Amino acid sequence: MNRVAITGVGIVSPFGRGKAAALDALRNARSGVRTISSIDPAPLACRIAGEVPADAHEGTHRGHDRFTRFALLAADEAAEQAGALGVESDRIGVLIGTGLGGAETLDTAYRRLYGEQARIAPASIPMTMYNAAAAAVSSKFAARGLSYAVVSACASSAHAIGLAAQAIRAGQADAMFAGGADAPLTTGIIKAWEALRVLAIDNEHPAAACRPFSADRKGLVLAEGAAVFVLENYDRARARGAEILGEIAGFGATSDAGHITDPSADGAARAINLALRDAHLNPDDVGYINAHGTGTRANDPTETSAIKSVFGERAHDLAVSSTKSMHGHAMGASGAIEIASSLVALRDGFLPPTINLKTPDPACDLDYVANQPRETRARAFLSNSFGFGGMNAVVAVSLLSPD
Amino acid sequence: MTRGEIEEALIGIVRNEKDVPAELLRPETPLAEAGIDSLDSLTILFAIEERFGISIPDDRARAMLTFGDMTTIVEDLLPRS
Repeated sequence: MNRVAITGVGIVSPFGRGKAAALDALRNARSGVRTISSIDPAPLACRIAGEVPADAHEGTHRGHDRFTRFALLAADEAAEQAGALGVESDRIGVLIGTGLGGAETLDTAYRRLYGEQARIAPASIPMTMYNAAAAAVSSKFAARGLSYAVVSACASSAHAIGLAAQAIRAGQADAMFAGGADAPLTTGIIKAWEALRVLAIDNEHPAAACRPFSADRKGLVLAEGAAVFVLENYDRARARGAEILGEIAGFGATSDAGHITDPSADGAARAINLALRDAHLNPDDVGYINAHGTGTRANDPTETSAIKSVFGERAHDLAVSSTKSMHGHAMGASGAIEIASSLVALRDGFLPPTINLKTPDPACDLDYVANQPRETRARAFLSNSFGFGGMNAVVAVSLLSPD
Repeated sequence: MTRGEIEEALIGIVRNEKDVPAELLRPETPLAEAGIDSLDSLTILFAIEERFGISIPDDRARAMLTFGDMTTIVEDLLPRS
């Protein structure tokens, strides 16, 4: 089986455009959650989100939905870092996960239809479709191999990255653009999340709203953005002299086969175990877990008990953090944004913190890297993503690649 | 509206959808040559209908191959004052 190298990383997030902006925010424990400015806040009870700053994307990639523009910007950055792949275009694929696809286009279309004009713009279908981002990246980078969208709610991009790695392992492709993109900050989607009563609504203090693992947590904060990786056949990447940023070492995926919104510790634990086994990692090799860590009542204790059931006593020596405390929950893009965040932070020698963690919940008793980043020498990490529908995806990443 | 006024409005609509170099914005230029593909055409037709309050039948839309055709269609369909 081929090994899978990461040779490019691109990210567009509430921290801004690019890895440098993300790294700076993570290192300084700075939240990207802000007052929503991209839509009219009047109908909203929740007026805060991890919104991508306008200057990070406005005027780019015209003619595409917002989620596709984020994906293209992230892919641009990843491709530039990876450099010339030297791979036949038939052997390059694209897997982009998304939870909600071209939500802004659909929202605009329906507002017109039911409201003032009763007409829908012709490009609405190709802009809305869930594979629009994958198609745009494929077209831009002449990736003519295995390409599609991956949809599993908030686990979408973790599944996309895991599946892309498997395609390279199995020899179906030599290089893959893999990641996720979502832009769910529309009036309709925010109202629907409000109805689920799981949003942390703290309009006066956006940066303090998302408090994963804290006893006073109120829920999740919606966000948007994208992260895209260039993954390559490891031997080919080495042969062409590419800088190898890390390795997708393993992937584990399970389904709770249970409740559509209530998470299960067992489903999460089985996915973590599968990822460890797939990566040939011992629990002792893992220095860090980037938690799903949404900040909801349901997720945080369930995820904590899943981690404890896999790692046993050693769970208390593990560093576990939720970067969602800073960038919010970017739905189907969150796994990719979190893997990108973890990778840039660990390569820079620090663990990204869980901010806003003042009073730990007694049911959440692990080391969550509270409030401040911490120096680390961890060389392998896991990233957990658990989607509605009970779909779980865990990606194992190694920084060192011993030959 | 005069033909010139219609042309001017159409240039605005086209440029709003697609960056077409000025030298290609001539009546005889085939739309395909100006980089306007079938999906762009649909979007432009939609914008024309909105702007002029007209409805362009499918057969006229399919026969719109140049910028000149575009102007003629609007001219034909605009209510005479």
